[in-house]
Amino acid sequence: MTLLLSAVLLLAGCKKSADGAAATKQFVIGMSQCNLGEPWRVQMNADIQAAAAKHPELKVIYKDAQNDTLQQRAQVEEFVSQKVDLLIISPKEAQPLTEPVAKAMDAGIPVLVLDRRLLGDKYTCFIGADNKKIGKAAGQWIVKTLGGKGNVVELMGLQTSTPGQDRHSGFLEGIAGSDIKIVFSADMKWLEPNARNEMESALSRFDKIDLVYAHNDPGAHGAYLAAKAAGREKQMKFVGIDALPQEGVAYVQQGILDTTFQYPTGGAEAIDTALKILHGEKVPPEIILGTRRFDKENVAGGGEELK
Amino acid sequence: MPAGLVLICMSSNLYADPCVSKPVAQNSPAAKKNPLLQAILSPTGRAFLALVMVLAVGIIFNGDGAFFKIGTHRDALRQASVYGILACGMTLVIICGGIDLSVGSVLALTAVCCAQMAIQWSWSGWLVVPICLLIGAACGGVSGLITARFSVQPFIATLSMMVLARGLAKYASGGMKVSTAVMNPDGTYRYMDVPPLFRWVDNRIFGGNISMVTLIFLACFALAWVLISKHRWGRYLYAIGGNEEASRLTGVPVVAAKTAAYVLCGMFAGVAGICQAAQEQQGDPEAGVGYELIAIAMVVIGGTSLMGGRGGIALTLLGVLTIGYLDKILSINAIAESGRLMLTGVIIVAAVLTQRRNRT
Repeated sequence: MTLLLSAVLLLAGCKKSADGAAATKQFVIGMSQCNLGEPWRVQMNADIQAAAAKHPELKVIYKDAQNDTLQQRAQVEEFVSQKVDLLIISPKEAQPLTEPVAKAMDAGIPVLVLDRRLLGDKYTCFIGADNKKIGKAAGQWIVKTLGGKGNVVELMGLQTSTPGQDRHSGFLEGIAGSDIKIVFSADMKWLEPNARNEMESALSRFDKIDLVYAHNDPGAHGAYLAAKAAGREKQMKFVGIDALPQEGVAYVQQGILDTTFQYPTGGAEAIDTALKILHGEKVPPEIILGTRRFDKENVAGGGEELK
Repeated sequence: MPAGLVLICMSSNLYADPCVSKPVAQNSPAAKKNPLLQAILSPTGRAFLALVMVLAVGIIFNGDGAFFKIGTHRDALRQASVYGILACGMTLVIICGGIDLSVGSVLALTAVCCAQMAIQWSWSGWLVVPICLLIGAACGGVSGLITARFSVQPFIATLSMMVLARGLAKYASGGMKVSTAVMNPDGTYRYMDVPPLFRWVDNRIFGGNISMVTLIFLACFALAWVLISKHRWGRYLYAIGGNEEASRLTGVPVVAAKTAAYVLCGMFAGVAGICQAAQEQQGDPEAGVGYELIAIAMVVIGGTSLMGGRGGIALTLLGVLTIGYLDKILSINAIAESGRLMLTGVIIVAAVLTQRRNRT
């Protein structure tokens, strides 16, 4: 198998050099993903792969640190000694990975940091989304949709995690000044079965619920299943976050969720930025991604972009 | 909890225990005089005490009357059912002196396989259910054989199975949830219907007053009860848990009986996996993390000894209800996560301490 593969690569290489001087230089990009246990991170790798496939001069090597900081550190060091042309890292945590990344920069390898930040500024560019902004956008949409007042159930992501905290505080900012009342809120720890259990409690406690705001789409789906079992799913709207194609977007398409806000992976933007860097163009030190809102009307067209 | 059931449980000796003499509480003079006190001090009575305490808390902190709605009780039982099914199998294994840490992972594996077969391949439930039970039983069988035949400590054997089954679940699902959204070769998605099996399992009957999964749990409970209390094999388990070497010398088929306990435990995990998949309408390879600990807590709150040889399945039912209601009561009152964890910890310890009193 390896033999066959190398033979194919060799042939491809020959063909390229035969094309003459116009053939572009081959770039090797190392991608260190902190773990592939979450669908969202699987999607990030898929987005990078899809974007890179359009540029035959790019070769991306993927490594999965399996949620182990030291393993991810070792992978960064491997990429450095391998002398890749560019490093993309979606770090597990900031402190222990800041120094390995700084060493990669010292070795002359540009580094793109995705999703989670590192300490200091010794990297080329940070690309990430802003959970607080997304939570705020959700809050504003809810105020508009409910006409400024109503009873809302909030099913929160793990409240000891930054995304969970930001999606909550952003939401509070978004509904500030309106008559939206959070009648019931619970920490469902991003888990669908927990969301369903908590929603059942909310349903048995409150006869009037206008909307469920869940910090992720599986949570909103769990809440929907609870409301459906109680025969009350038509009385309320369901709002989720993340908008992964096989989760949130699919739920919107199936009419389960009323809307979902995308938490973009930045995979495509990472490849765009990588190309700019590799071709010697300047890039900003920070790219904050916007969000997209999907509902039944716009889902086929890829959602509506929010600034 | 209907009063009738309470009385039935109280009057019969649920604390099936052939190795130790009848409840020790009889020795205390006060208990001899007063039959009511005797009933309360019996192990069964003490397991009830924990449940009664939790229910009393629910009556006081009733979440604006939500605790008095029948739907709340239906939901509490539904929520506890998957754990309860796991706890049935766990009781068998614990009585024979073992432990099974793999049930949560086996649940995820069967949930993923179940969703794959039922949703994406549209197989009939008559085919999917037996295959899922077989997968669960096979996982249990492997850890059982390793434990019983090769004398590996059950903690180690089932810990390995816990990791292995989780890996299998991730492999079988490709790391993604197996849901009704199926990817086409061109990257777009098409949507499958929720299969009839899932609709059937995640249903409510008797006028919407009881969830199907609760009935499935009760069926599992009944099966475990018959096996453990009415069948010779149940006696074997107690004997092995009490003294494995002595049981072997007196002709108990130790290897077969122990392996069978793990096979059944795995099979129950398979049932739980089907219920989990049906309730989530998907197979999540990350499902069931930590469920084994909840199941063990339910067994222990009932009063079954982790050392093996003592305890009973009916006590596990009390443990399931205690933890199930505790969860629900904390939830309807919207207690913050930190408070929930602390209270749950305190109540588990308190329940286990009531169990231990007067027994040496």
